[in-house]
Amino acid sequence: MNKSDMMLLCASPRREGTSAMLLRRISSVTDGELVYLPQRGFLDEMVQTMKQAATIVISGPCYINTYPARLIELLETASSMGGFYGQKLYGIINGGMPYVHTHRHGLTCLQLFAEQNHLLWQGGFVLGGGAMLDGSPLEKHMNHKTVVPAFDQFIRHIVEGTPSPEYLYEQLEPCYGKILTHVLARMLTLRVVKHIKKYGHDPNAPNWYLRERDLENDRVDPV
Amino acid sequence: MIVIVSDDSGGNWGTELEEAVFHTGNHVVRFAANSLDIKPCTACGNCSGKTYGRCIIPDDMQKVLPKIAGCRTLVLISPVVFGGVSHHIKKVMDRMAAVGNPRYRVNGGELVKGMSGSGMNYFMVGIGDKLKETQRSAFISLHEENRKIMSAKGKAFILDEGANKASMIKIAQEIVHEQV
Repeated sequence: MNKSDMMLLCASPRREGTSAMLLRRISSVTDGELVYLPQRGFLDEMVQTMKQAATIVISGPCYINTYPARLIELLETASSMGGFYGQKLYGIINGGMPYVHTHRHGLTCLQLFAEQNHLLWQGGFVLGGGAMLDGSPLEKHMNHKTVVPAFDQFIRHIVEGTPSPEYLYEQLEPCYGKILTHVLARMLTLRVVKHIKKYGHDPNAPNWYLRERDLENDRVDPV
Repeated sequence: MIVIVSDDSGGNWGTELEEAVFHTGNHVVRFAANSLDIKPCTACGNCSGKTYGRCIIPDDMQKVLPKIAGCRTLVLISPVVFGGVSHHIKKVMDRMAAVGNPRYRVNGGELVKGMSGSGMNYFMVGIGDKLKETQRSAFISLHEENRKIMSAKGKAFILDEGANKASMIKIAQEIVHEQV
């Protein structure tokens, strides 16, 4: 496959985050070209690049259960411009929660985009617990023993141009028991509370916008 | 207060729902996301650290966030786009992290989060003609996952583009009825 044949599109605003790290893992064994989704301006040029690729791999973070707005904007622009002719499309979505269902909508969105625009949907990969990596290598993932071989198998499907089955990522979903889930919730909360306190904020205070609104209401014009 | 955020680039759905909710006697505020200057979330992390609870991007979202933070019910109205919402609505959703509760909880045996304050109702109205079942089910599942992660109540509705006033009145009544 030639360099220009494979487009590795990072849909995250963070160039050194987990989404980009996963694409770099793919580019280390392919000649795919890593491109970053511009966070401002028109997207027509990016759509042209997509049209020129034979294979497109989109990797992005999960924001509120699906891909970020800017990728949706790209897909809308691509759909309005048209001109796709059977390019192979793979997707990767990663998020903090360990559950597949939390993030799966991103892949469904790409599949529907592909079906409506004459691209060939080849499957995707959901990486739960990916946000914690913060761009670190996949070997640092909490479930690296199962995640690494599964993702590398996903890469092989991309290299061979074959569809990637859902079970590759579905099998990775951890089965935490009730007690461990509560322990995890406690540990993760302690971590975020510590982070908030580090900046001198009270994690128990009402939201900043509510406090501002109350201050605004209490403000009395001087006579 | 009921907050409606709509993408009215293809119709007057937001205005129609606002009117229908207003006639139930509830306080309603509406934002047309497609007419506002809302930039994408940059994942800077300030809202969960340095400026906890506040988004630092200076754009029209600064008018929307105070209303969402203080609302009892949030309604998003959007064309159904690839089984989800349009990028105009998604930009609002992505930026809502600033008014989310950063704490983790357990609900139904799974880790979830929530919104600041308590007991929010969350509705999505999808608009689209001749939608395939895959698009409809994806839209409904997106709402369901949003609802879970926000620990909110509510449901998703799907309407044809030519939906009449009576449909909006019916949705308004359901939204008002579900208010806790």
